Amino acid sequence: MALPNLLRLIYRNIRVNTDPGSLIILVGLPAMYLVFFGFGFQSLAGGAGSGSYIDYLTPGIMSFQAVMAGTVGGSMLWADRRYGMLAQLLVGPFTRLQYLLGIMFTSVLFALGGAAVMMGMALVLVQVPAISAVAVLVMFAVITLGAIFFGSLMLLIAALVKSNNAYNSVQILVIFVVNFASTVFYPISSSLPAALRYLFLINPLTYIANAVRGAFTGTLTASDGIQLAVLAAETVVVLFLATRAYLRSDVTLE
Amino acid sequence: MSDSETVIQAEQIRHAYTPGRYALNGLSFSVRRGEVFGLLGRNGAGKSTLIKVMTTLLRPSEGSLRVLGLNPARDGRRIRSRIGVVQQGESFDFTTVEGNLDIYGVLWGLPADERIRRRNELIARFGLDDLRRRRSFDLSGGQKRRVQVAREFMHDMEILFLDEPTVGLDVIMRRTLLDSIRAEVRRGLTVVFTTHNLEEADYLCDRIAVVDQGRLLALETLENLKRLYGGRKTIDLTVSGTEGEAFYRSLRTRLGEDSTVTVSGRSAVILASDPKGALAVILALAQERGVGLDWLNVRQNTLEDVFLKSVGHEGESIGSA
Repeated sequence: MALPNLLRLIYRNIRVNTDPGSLIILVGLPAMYLVFFGFGFQSLAGGAGSGSYIDYLTPGIMSFQAVMAGTVGGSMLWADRRYGMLAQLLVGPFTRLQYLLGIMFTSVLFALGGAAVMMGMALVLVQVPAISAVAVLVMFAVITLGAIFFGSLMLLIAALVKSNNAYNSVQILVIFVVNFASTVFYPISSSLPAALRYLFLINPLTYIANAVRGAFTGTLTASDGIQLAVLAAETVVVLFLATRAYLRSDVTLE
Repeated sequence: MSDSETVIQAEQIRHAYTPGRYALNGLSFSVRRGEVFGLLGRNGAGKSTLIKVMTTLLRPSEGSLRVLGLNPARDGRRIRSRIGVVQQGESFDFTTVEGNLDIYGVLWGLPADERIRRRNELIARFGLDDLRRRRSFDLSGGQKRRVQVAREFMHDMEILFLDEPTVGLDVIMRRTLLDSIRAEVRRGLTVVFTTHNLEEADYLCDRIAVVDQGRLLALETLENLKRLYGGRKTIDLTVSGTEGEAFYRSLRTRLGEDSTVTVSGRSAVILASDPKGALAVILALAQERGVGLDWLNVRQNTLEDVFLKSVGHEGESIGSA
């Protein structure tokens, strides 16, 4: 029996985007952050009396997978427009919406897969605290929401940008700013300049990292719930904008 | 459905990318089941836009279009599930040749055993055996084109749209492709085919539409197109010296309406209903103006002459749709 259209598209996206190069970006880079930063900054974090830094970093890096998967999603649309596959798929038995959903679901799967690998690595590398099944479900639900947010954001950029250089530049900038102006690697400190602290506070990755960390350590708070509600609202807005831009965009880049 | 059934019916199709500037400007035609329908035209004539409209990638700004009896605006997906398209630009997934064909088979819902059978058969038919494990983006232009065309045969279809499929192919592979298409047509496939190559159109097409500036200038069977010009012959002429432009201007005036003079630099192609008379005029004018004749040849008309004649008169239809 033939698979439904959406599953065929997801199969194609996974098969095309799991070459060694893509996997290094998707999993290898966060894994290196976890290992090098986790062990490298341990002495600094330990000196500050905050316990194991890798315990702090692991949920952050799991959250970071939402960003990485989002960039892969944006790159899928970008590459398909640039190399003709979007037009080819859209003269096939698929709708534009199915194509968009195919990318979105693939991004979520990549995010969850990457997060699972990071959690597994942390379990192997260090003695992480026991995590309940409910906590894992909460973490994965938050990462799913995050992957949809960043997937939508990168799809929006991929739909609007016209040149390869521009797309790559914007993507690198987004990854850098979102990653390092968040609580993935360090908490918001009172010593941060006000502008930088504000950037941390409006960064959706901060909300994701805080919630995942809360579930990871069993310290979820009402504040995390509010942040997730804000993230959900932002996701709806960005998803709407991305869908609109994508539906209006040219299917090819001439 | 009978063999003489109309599978594409276009009435006054217009499409504007920007308001008021029509890439397609009032095209009306029909395509019958089982025929090879050629779209001939120079760059920017509107051929690719027309293909995009017929394959539901673009919605016409005006006019009525039915593909396989369906309305593209409402039934796009149903139409697309019954057609195949080889686009002008390249389209590949970042994987091997074999992988591209295989993924395409999955996308079209082929069962695994059928997918593998077709993939292997197409790899053999299109001479891709040595390339099957190469990544598509490492291939030459001609090799990519072969893969792209082969890939489209992974699935069944009723109409195949080919937008300049032979660009970059060598002579042997071009003939292989054209013969493959012919074989599929014998099995009932309808083909809509755009090309710059007039020999290909001559070899493959049952009917040819000449398109220019978004308009249909001619639509006839190959035989009828040639018959339209049957009483004419073609004179190829190249002059020497600096007076060429003035010479051709005078020649046009003297030959009058019965002949067509298409000039390119120092050379011209002249379609003449009275070739002997035209030759006499050419020789007399050359002597009168002191212009040397580097090349003078009289021959039967070809499809290329028909094409030159039709696009040489902007907006003037020479056939019936």
